[in-house]
Amino acid sequence: MVTFKLNGKTVQGEEGQYILQVAEKYGVEIPTLCHHKALEPAGMCRLCTVELFDGRRSRFVTACNYPIWDGMEINTDSEAVHQGRKLIIELLLARCPNVPVLQKLAAKYGIQEPRFKKEEDDCILCGLCTRMCEKMGNSAISLTGRGVEMSVDTPFHVQSDICMACGACASVCPTGHITLEKIAREITKKKATLIPSEYDMGLKGRKPVYVPYAQAVPNTPAIDRDVCMHFKTGGCKVCTEFCGVNAIDHSMKDEIIELEVGAIILAPGFQPFDPSRFDNYDYANHPNVITAMEFERVLSASGPTGGHLVRISDHKEPKKIAWFQCVGSRDTNKCDNAYCSSVCCMYAIKEAVIAKEHAEYDLDCAVFYMDMRTHGKDFERFYNRAKDDHGIRFLRSRVHSVTPISGSDDLEIRYVSESGEAKTEIFDMIVLSVGLETPPETIALANKLGIALTPGNFARTTTFQPVATSKEGIFVCGAFQGPRDIPQAVVDSSAASASAGEMLSSARNTETKEKEVIPETNVAGDRPRIGVFVCKCGINIAGVVNVPQVRDYAATLPYVEYVSDNLYSCSQDTQDSMADIIKSKNLNRVVVAACTPKTHEPLFQETLLNAGLNKYLFEMVNIRNQDSWVHKNNPALATEKAKDLVRMGVSKVALMQPLKEAELQVNQTGLVIGGGISGMISARSLANQGYETHLVERDSKLGGQALNLYRTAKGEDVQKELAILIEDVTKNDKIHVHLNTTLSSVEGFVGNFKTNISSNGESQSIEHGIAVVATGATSLVPTEYGYGKDKRILTSLELDRKLIEKDTALKDIESAVFIQCVGSREPERPYCSRVCCTHSIDNALELKKLNPDMNVYVLYRDIRTYGEREYLYMEAREAGVIFIRYSLGKKPVVELTDGKIFITVTDHVLGIPLRIETDLITLASAIVPYRDEKLAQFFKVPLNDDGMFVEKHAKLGPSEFATDGVFLCGLAHYPKPIEESIAQGQAAASRAVTLLSRKTIHTSGTVAKVDPAICSSCGVCVSICPYSAPSFIDASARMFPGKAQINAVLCKGCGLCVASCRSGALHLQGFDNDQIFSQIFALSEAG
Amino acid sequence: MSEWEPKIVSFLCNWCSYGAADLTGVSRMQYPPNIRVVRIPCTGRMSPKFALAALREGADAVWVSG
Amino acid sequence: MLAYIDKIKEISDRLLQEKKVDLIIGFRKGTLPMMNEPCFVRSSADVKNLVWDSNCGINLANYLTNRKEKIGVIAKGCDSRNIVTHIIENKISRDQLVIIGVPCKGMIDRRKVYAAAGQEVTEVVEQSDAIVIQFAGGEKTVKKTDVLQDNCAICIHRNPVISDEMVAEPVEEQKGVDRYEDVRRVEAMSPAEKWNYFEELLAPCIRCYACRNACPLCYCPTCFVDESKPQWVGKTLDPIDTRTFHFLRAYHCAGRCTDCGSCVRACPMGIDVRAFTKKLEKDALELFGWEAGMSLDVRPTLDTFKPDDPNTFIK
Repeated sequence: MVTFKLNGKTVQGEEGQYILQVAEKYGVEIPTLCHHKALEPAGMCRLCTVELFDGRRSRFVTACNYPIWDGMEINTDSEAVHQGRKLIIELLLARCPNVPVLQKLAAKYGIQEPRFKKEEDDCILCGLCTRMCEKMGNSAISLTGRGVEMSVDTPFHVQSDICMACGACASVCPTGHITLEKIAREITKKKATLIPSEYDMGLKGRKPVYVPYAQAVPNTPAIDRDVCMHFKTGGCKVCTEFCGVNAIDHSMKDEIIELEVGAIILAPGFQPFDPSRFDNYDYANHPNVITAMEFERVLSASGPTGGHLVRISDHKEPKKIAWFQCVGSRDTNKCDNAYCSSVCCMYAIKEAVIAKEHAEYDLDCAVFYMDMRTHGKDFERFYNRAKDDHGIRFLRSRVHSVTPISGSDDLEIRYVSESGEAKTEIFDMIVLSVGLETPPETIALANKLGIALTPGNFARTTTFQPVATSKEGIFVCGAFQGPRDIPQAVVDSSAASASAGEMLSSARNTETKEKEVIPETNVAGDRPRIGVFVCKCGINIAGVVNVPQVRDYAATLPYVEYVSDNLYSCSQDTQDSMADIIKSKNLNRVVVAACTPKTHEPLFQETLLNAGLNKYLFEMVNIRNQDSWVHKNNPALATEKAKDLVRMGVSKVALMQPLKEAELQVNQTGLVIGGGISGMISARSLANQGYETHLVERDSKLGGQALNLYRTAKGEDVQKELAILIEDVTKNDKIHVHLNTTLSSVEGFVGNFKTNISSNGESQSIEHGIAVVATGATSLVPTEYGYGKDKRILTSLELDRKLIEKDTALKDIESAVFIQCVGSREPERPYCSRVCCTHSIDNALELKKLNPDMNVYVLYRDIRTYGEREYLYMEAREAGVIFIRYSLGKKPVVELTDGKIFITVTDHVLGIPLRIETDLITLASAIVPYRDEKLAQFFKVPLNDDGMFVEKHAKLGPSEFATDGVFLCGLAHYPKPIEESIAQGQAAASRAVTLLSRKTIHTSGTVAKVDPAICSSCGVCVSICPYSAPSFIDASARMFPGKAQINAVLCKGCGLCVASCRSGALHLQGFDNDQIFSQIFALSEAG
Repeated sequence: MSEWEPKIVSFLCNWCSYGAADLTGVSRMQYPPNIRVVRIPCTGRMSPKFALAALREGADAVWVSG
Repeated sequence: MLAYIDKIKEISDRLLQEKKVDLIIGFRKGTLPMMNEPCFVRSSADVKNLVWDSNCGINLANYLTNRKEKIGVIAKGCDSRNIVTHIIENKISRDQLVIIGVPCKGMIDRRKVYAAAGQEVTEVVEQSDAIVIQFAGGEKTVKKTDVLQDNCAICIHRNPVISDEMVAEPVEEQKGVDRYEDVRRVEAMSPAEKWNYFEELLAPCIRCYACRNACPLCYCPTCFVDESKPQWVGKTLDPIDTRTFHFLRAYHCAGRCTDCGSCVRACPMGIDVRAFTKKLEKDALELFGWEAGMSLDVRPTLDTFKPDDPNTFIK
């Protein structure tokens, strides 16, 4: 240890350290331009000059490269130092008068104008760049020439072939002399480009050490070996100098880890189609033709334009944007993706709506499409709103070409309008709605695993095992299973885990370990003894917030008995020492001022548990994410903010009480309501995973709507497969089938339901832990197109019935017409029934097969054969099925004359009415939900305007309800084909098993609680709670009849009831009124 | 301080806005240090009295987000 | 309206005789002019004490809270709406009540009468559309419409929305009434003007809580003003505490207030405390299409949870 004086204060440093390093440690600021932590100091800029007193006399030395010695005295702030520094700055400013960093320094030292002759340079010859280049293991540039001729240059002033264009020189240059442009122009022979950020679709650069995106899990940086200089030259390693915990190990190697598993789930995803090869859209060359994925980044607040809607070329706000649909989808002409990517119509509409919302002016959005495919739940409504409320233009046309307009960055497009006219229109920006495709690596993986692929290179699955690949034990979900949107991908991922779970159920819980429980110290009633731990988070917090100051401030607050600061509070050793301190100092409340409770609260609560403290005696103060990181240019105010937040946290934690987490047994029995396909699948999955299951069906037999279906889109025989499934279910001894049965009452809640069922007048009570709602839907009985007036006018299901029964009369038909959207996509039923396009086309093909000479017509509004169902549409056209489009305003007209059926429809190409005589009309009638209000009441789950059940989350929770322990699948959720119903049946079982497998449920401690003496029984809480947690105490109860009570199991701790309670009888433990008030009241206390 | 700086008290929903404020930090976006955040479990927890209390304690603005 | 009393007495007597109710809640004459007071009539013998005229402004729903008896209650339009609210909020059950509906043409504001007299009033005699004010040394006749309570002048629900017996045929409801002219005036003010307006409005308040006590909506076992942990509102006459009290009281009435005017009627300082509740009443109507107490079958708007609530007004 070397001891010396710094500005009169005794300080210590390590042998061999320089003055600057020690000064930094003690928070003494010495200005410098050429110092870099990772480089040997050179003393080039001279700014760090300080005064050294060696016991006899004073002299000036550069702090960056003067080693410390015992007994020296350093002054960094004397008048002489100040004057000297001012002169140095003045000289530098004269040399480089336009460099901002020097102008700033000059202003700070009170220099108006340099007294010396001004030059027009911008390099101060500090040599930081050349030293950094050397550190990179390269030395492509150096200081060349002598005296006034000296400059930073490559050897012989020619562009270097040694330079690897890493950009390190530019990144450290203090004056901006070296820029990326300069590197490209003068220094390197190589192509100098930014490392494209994958997340920002290459619209922005990133560093070799990077976190892929802000929300990445884990949020730990990685080194990109392909671009990291260390892996090219063996040099650099600058990052290791900055990491406070020595976490970076460049010697790490890829490891091969062998795992023994019983099942594999493939979820490799997709890649967006690369439209570079479409020269007619000019994507590769024109910056204002971008993909939808790039446009997503433009709209994002964290994207390259900060969320400002501007075009790439000139950052001008676009007035007109066009979306081109089906780029890389439904196309066998310019690419090989014949399938529909399923998601692009919806995302294009979404982008157009968001673009409109972003623009504060009248933005013109036009979507060019072939068929608008908004077949998802509530998607049609969104489409209608985009058209009617947002004024987005939808043009049915495939754009032929894009031509840049010379002299501007605008683009002219040529297309043919619906009426057949050739048109041109100019747009500021074009967004290509690119499709989804399987990347080559995934195809290679599939080949390696030996699983079969579809023609579109998706994993081949069957309708009745929608997530099973061709190889047993390997399951698939997500876009590799076929192009799909988020809710479907979520359903399939749950289905895949259920499928794997069914195989592996015997191994469940065989590798779990019991956790040691440390007994809890009873601190109730004790005076608060608060410990405050302030985290530096390396330099993340300490680099901005003065942590020692915050720590010392915390010590002055009421009830605070202990304070400390930690380099990394979350590290294991700090956790252990915190637990020791809590015990040794007898602390009963803990505040950690660090990152954010969102990520770290559970960790610190664990520390409390390890110290024998109730985990709710804790409060976390956010001084990183919401302080140091967002106020980095304002250290003083950031420190004040940190103190305020700590004060608020301390005053809150003092009022925290130990909270109990109740434990509740889960009845490990399932109840599935509905014996259709999805219900049976759900029951079978539950049973196969080891749980007793009751399957309730209102009808006299199992099967549901599938009993009416002939064939799947993939060609499987529905009746055959259904029979197998029914047998599976009936023979399974864990499944108890209740036919002709309905529910008469439901009591209880998650884990402990008690349901009364009645069959043929007999009543039975079932106790169960979870319930699956699979009540299905029915087919609309059409009231138009002459339905019911002639037996040759059928619904799709009636035609299926004829096909199932192999009605021989069908092949004698000369002309057959299918009418789509019968009752769907109408004002009174504004949703798409999703299955009918595929169904009708499949049946049209079947008729064609029975009699190739039959004239088969499909009258449609948009064909919605999403995913690989598109092949059927192609096949039908090839087979000669005639597709005629009609609009809602001009529906086909059916006439019955002299025993003949005529149908008149306006041809969409010719615009003239077409009259067809037909022998068979098949109406693709809508799927209509049962609107089961009674069931909704029983389980306290909501119905939407269409009468379908409302899931927990439209995207992320499609197979469950907000009410715990109740799950959802099949047509009761939304119209869907068999394979999706099956997947959702499995998904509901999978979600249910997450509860059933637990045996017990722990409630959270932060739940609402009623003070019944204050409760006025007004019932607002009972009515308002979305989770049905509050109820009235029974009128016959001895204590507090009629007052409210909270079921802690159902309570999510949102506090809605607490805020709504006029009487103040409700309390939210952990966020109670007095606790929040204490935070508010702590705001204004003098800091 | 020469110029007046407002004191803003914000009540942020734990699940969305509080998380968004965290993400703002992760993204290193910068904003003035005039805000003091009170984390609440849901904006449903917000009571008019909290807003009144904050104003009474000298806040110049109250921001509820969720 | 004056003729109603015979019918009221007849119904009350019958209900008591037939033991359909244990008591009748109605009005009897007060000791001061224009100050009819609520009374409980438990036997036929006392039915004669009941009165009805335009001084029955007190909201009788307030007297139903948590009662256990079978009750016959006399209800004007506004009372009936508060009875509905009371039933919804579990303060009394429907089958405990026999609601004797009274079509109402508005109650008179004694302050306006005093102002018209300009001196101590000794007696007020009501005629069909006029009020004869008697005072020492003379009398003066005013039109009843000129001395109506402010809330009655703009009332659009004069007939009971719920009743078991009616004392008369429904009266014609007022059409084309601009109910919120005063609220809009305040809304249009600048912040400074608003500040001054409310400062002056509340300056006379003595925190007696008469407005709270007269209000049928205020029935909590412990009122927030009396709680000390947390202390929702300071107990002093500091203007901030007074304002806080009035704001919170108004919020507690949001979506529930029927604009019966009891609060204003009760205020000894003559403060127009409806200025607060009316704003919330207007918001409930404009944002949610909600009028309080109109039906037993609909949950109050602020108690309703809808996952698909468009909330367009928040944007």
